[in-house]
Amino acid sequence: MGVSAFSDEWARQFKDEVNRSSTYKSAAKGWKWSVGLVVEAEPDKNFPESKGVVMDLFDGSARDITVGTAADAQKCDFVITAPYTRWKQVATKELDATKGILQGKLKLKGDLPTIVRYTKASQEMTECTTRVPVEWPDEK
Amino acid sequence: MHDAGPGRMARRKIETDKAVDYADPEPSAFASMLGGLIDANIANSPAKRKDFDELGARVGIWVTDIDEGVTLEFHRGSLIVHNGLKPKRDITIRAEAETVMNLSNLRIGLFGMPVYYDEVGRGVAAKLVQRKLRIDGMLGNIATVNTVTRIFSVR
Repeated sequence: MGVSAFSDEWARQFKDEVNRSSTYKSAAKGWKWSVGLVVEAEPDKNFPESKGVVMDLFDGSARDITVGTAADAQKCDFVITAPYTRWKQVATKELDATKGILQGKLKLKGDLPTIVRYTKASQEMTECTTRVPVEWPDEK
Repeated sequence: MHDAGPGRMARRKIETDKAVDYADPEPSAFASMLGGLIDANIANSPAKRKDFDELGARVGIWVTDIDEGVTLEFHRGSLIVHNGLKPKRDITIRAEAETVMNLSNLRIGLFGMPVYYDEVGRGVAAKLVQRKLRIDGMLGNIATVNTVTRIFSVR
């Protein structure tokens, strides 16, 4: 049975996945910026309030990943914003995050050269989300 | 009464001091990303700025797995980014999204040549061999391809 999407327990398991990944560890060497994921509300999908995932990432490891408000996530150095359904597509491998950003399905804010330099780390981070078994609110 | 006549199109004049501008009132996400990337690169690197100031070319980029593209119109010191592929391109790069991102991660080595012997470079070279990365017009425009690669590169 999965954990509730974008819950504290989900954040803990996501952090564990990131720290278990040797690919992420080497690809994100030198990374020193915070990343915020804004998950926009979709009341008709049983996701009534926007949430923010704040990721404190440093030099190939996740020091902390927490779930708070969208405003918390918007304070990060890099912010990726999308509605709940898009994030679900990313986490279930229906949507590749790189393609999603190029298509504008995921909105990215932050220094572009830096994020491009760490494309491989971003892809592995996305892979880590797919490894966390999730119970989706719109499927309850 | 003024009549522009059939077949003539009004040309929108783009007046700006910005190095990078967009031809379309609503640039696509891909256009914004590439334009933003080039803008940041030339602001951060005098060598890339010099390349940008010397480059005059029309470069198309088509991302094959999302069916989206842009045309980059370099005018020696300014760039206009168009949504989609426009005519009269000197070179056109066609690749999947991941490969397009990897092109921006190519290291630049001696004499300003892209490095194809490290992990990223080998990956890009393999895509060229497999024809998953195609550069139409490359043969007559090797110098342009290398200059564009240097301007794209975040390394």
